[in-house]
Amino acid sequence: MPKIPIALTINGEPHEVLVEPDRTLLDVLRSDLGLTGTKTNCLDAECGVCTVLVDGLAVNSCLYLAVVATGRAITTIEGLASAGGLHPLQAAFVEHGAVQCGYCIPGMILSAKAYLDEHPHPSELQIREALAGNLCRCTGYQKIVDAVLAAARRMAATAVAS
Amino acid sequence: MSPGTRVAGHSLPRLDAPGKVTGTAVYAADFALPGMLYGKVFRSGQPHARLVRLDTARAEAVAGVRAIVTAADAADIRYGAAVRDEPVFASDVVRYVGQPVAAVAAVTPEAAEAALAAIEAMYEPRPPVLDLAAALAPGAPLVHEAWRSYTAIPILQRDGNVCNRARIVVGDVERGWVEADRIFEHRFTTAMVHQGYTEPRAAVAAWDSSGQVTVWSNTQLPFDVQATLADILGVLPSKVRIIVPGVGGGFGGKLRIGVEHFAAMLARKSGRPVKVMTTSEEELTAAYPRQGTVIELKTGVTRDGRLTARQGRIYFDTGAFAGSGPGVASVATMVLAGPYRTPNLHLEGYAVYTNKTNCGSYRAPSGPQANFAVESQMDIIADALGIDPLELRLRNIVREGDEGPTGQVLSAVGLEECLRRAADAIGWTERRPGPGRGKGLACGWWTTTGGSSGVYVKINPDGTVTLNTGAVEIGTAALTGAAQVLAEALGVDLSDITIVSGDTFSTPFDFGAQGSRTAFAVGNACRAAAAELQRKLFALAAPQLGTAEETLELRDKHVVGPAGRVSLAELARQSQATGGGMIAHGTFIAPGTPYDTKRVEGHVYPAFHSPSFHAHAVDLSVDTETGEVTIHKYVVAQDVGFALNPTYIEGQIEGGVAQGLGQTLSEEIVYRDGRVLNANLTDYKMPTTLDVPRIESILVEHPGRVGPFGAKGVGEPPNVEPPAAVANAIASAVGARVTSLPITAEKIVLGHLREVADGAR
Repeated sequence: MPKIPIALTINGEPHEVLVEPDRTLLDVLRSDLGLTGTKTNCLDAECGVCTVLVDGLAVNSCLYLAVVATGRAITTIEGLASAGGLHPLQAAFVEHGAVQCGYCIPGMILSAKAYLDEHPHPSELQIREALAGNLCRCTGYQKIVDAVLAAARRMAATAVAS
Repeated sequence: MSPGTRVAGHSLPRLDAPGKVTGTAVYAADFALPGMLYGKVFRSGQPHARLVRLDTARAEAVAGVRAIVTAADAADIRYGAAVRDEPVFASDVVRYVGQPVAAVAAVTPEAAEAALAAIEAMYEPRPPVLDLAAALAPGAPLVHEAWRSYTAIPILQRDGNVCNRARIVVGDVERGWVEADRIFEHRFTTAMVHQGYTEPRAAVAAWDSSGQVTVWSNTQLPFDVQATLADILGVLPSKVRIIVPGVGGGFGGKLRIGVEHFAAMLARKSGRPVKVMTTSEEELTAAYPRQGTVIELKTGVTRDGRLTARQGRIYFDTGAFAGSGPGVASVATMVLAGPYRTPNLHLEGYAVYTNKTNCGSYRAPSGPQANFAVESQMDIIADALGIDPLELRLRNIVREGDEGPTGQVLSAVGLEECLRRAADAIGWTERRPGPGRGKGLACGWWTTTGGSSGVYVKINPDGTVTLNTGAVEIGTAALTGAAQVLAEALGVDLSDITIVSGDTFSTPFDFGAQGSRTAFAVGNACRAAAAELQRKLFALAAPQLGTAEETLELRDKHVVGPAGRVSLAELARQSQATGGGMIAHGTFIAPGTPYDTKRVEGHVYPAFHSPSFHAHAVDLSVDTETGEVTIHKYVVAQDVGFALNPTYIEGQIEGGVAQGLGQTLSEEIVYRDGRVLNANLTDYKMPTTLDVPRIESILVEHPGRVGPFGAKGVGEPPNVEPPAAVANAIASAVGARVTSLPITAEKIVLGHLREVADGAR
């Protein structure tokens, strides 16, 4: 299959890559760009470890074609922390013991971010619904949900303060 | 929170958390080398057949293919932890759908897939052995006709399709039946289930010019894989280096060699680094899942609920190769005894070959299955005798100084406290609070696996500490727990410690991430290393402080004397200048647990070391129309001995229960005619955020004699009781006693309808 050049904006940085049109965003992120913070597993949008944000929406990058991402803003886990430190979600996951093996965590954090950006005052049930597409086998989800609730409060407070 | 300690016993964040939340932690699945090829495995499409022809010529010609390996390229050996019965590739006979037959390396995964499609295999089907009943039937076809010729652990009791029969005999069950007022007999079944780790098994292998192969793998047991791989490759173990980057969950499924040998053989043949990673379909058809079982349980009791005898048989469908089966069958007999005083026992565990995938170890191997039978039957007995289930248990549980089933003397037995606190926490006095709602209990015991652990601990010239361990962090935070023990002993902070782990060339030996042992064993090795470092530090510091070594102590990153102190950093710098650096080797081997050897036969796990005790209690509702179960409250009271890090112990409990609820209510690898019907994550139903309730953890602390600060193993136990606790609550709620896992909605509704019909008669 002939390759075509595409321009991707990932975590605010422009990237030009030459890819076959059937390549997934997940594959391009991991194999071409070395951004392995986005994880790979079922390749069938069943487990959620590959979740990234495209224009702020959480997508399963394992079924999302790289060419479709052209011209859109892609956020991966590598783009969440700033020079000032961890994103409030990342900090809350550390503080609440929400991380065990950690393999689902990048996807989990990005799914949570996409939801919180639209719903700054979620209930526990809403968080659970937002994360239902992200499987975690280690934690039983409790500390993950607690971490997202805590991060939501912190982010909402910061938003009010600013 | 422990007031007497600074670091151990405190809920501090794990050391690897920042890397995991920022995406910088590297897992085996992430690992890549320049010029790397991608390997894929060609697998049997038949459950039992003679492989009459294998033609790879067309596959060799596929563009991008660089190497194909088959049995012709592999050493003519069989491997296996208990029975050496498994070949690298099938050559003459295939024994399950999914058995490796060949492997391909190509420049892209797509090219490798195309090559798999071009491999031609012709089979001559043989009668398959599709389940336990078929395998055990008189005159059943043998899964391994040459079973006698296989090398095995000598004590195993093997016979045809049975690759071990483990047995515990205590007293005389016949006498026990006579002493009993009532005898209860039940049969239970449980399904094959998968560990469900989110990171597939992955390995990258590369050879160097000296004939050494390095494999980056997500195994839980790097030293075990090193030995197996050396055998398979026909090289010395010193030519095999296993390095474990991050591991995305294991739960026992990544103990034994998985894809490392395929990567190494393909890399050798192609002369390029090769990466092999499993697909979800491969995981659900050709991994090391938990064995399905059939359990027959017969228990005698007096009118007042005293156990007089128990006879139990548990049959494990271990698949085409023994895998962990012989050991799991042994452990199961310990669980079948229950945490109860029973004077007469006759307990047997059978590991049985069938033409299915090779089963392995899954968190508390045999625990959930055997406990499901034991604890379901305890509730049936309680109901029949008109005794409260909690009371029946309290009348029979083991207590301090009692004997376990094989005669080991039990100590630090926190079971009564666990039972009472779990029951209290769900309001046990009101067992059926409303229509369709009920509460259930289950209790159990589990082992802390021994084995040896070594660590090197180095104090760096800036005063920080490097902990070098052969253990592997699979997610439990066990190495953070061990580091807390080390920080406590050295008088430093947890954040001063950096962990280097899991490299068979540069880290000391460790028995591996299995059996709830890592924090326990590595923690104790850390204590030993800290003691040695203290000796060296004091010897160096005493003359400088003008005092005797006996007057010194380690505190606040200093050696402190009566009239002055010197920092660890300074002492490490001095040691670098004069003594080769401040380093110590610490080791630990769990002491043996004495037991009565006359009580066991074919048994490879005859005592539970530093056993833990636990109780689960659940309050739930059942919709009798749909069979849907809603859990209102789930409580775990677990005797952890000493809570090294309460947050992560809660995490083990919450995760163990979630996994247990999956096995209880929804998970099953469904076989039909030797083929898996649901080899994907939509049809293999693991619990999501919407399926797992909040879980309340009660950490009970009856300190053991061996573990650091009295700690016992905590990782596996929470997975033991969920099936029984939930089954008992469902029976309490709607009268339906479901004796087979998973307890699907269909089974509940059918069971309820039967109850209603029985009630009407």
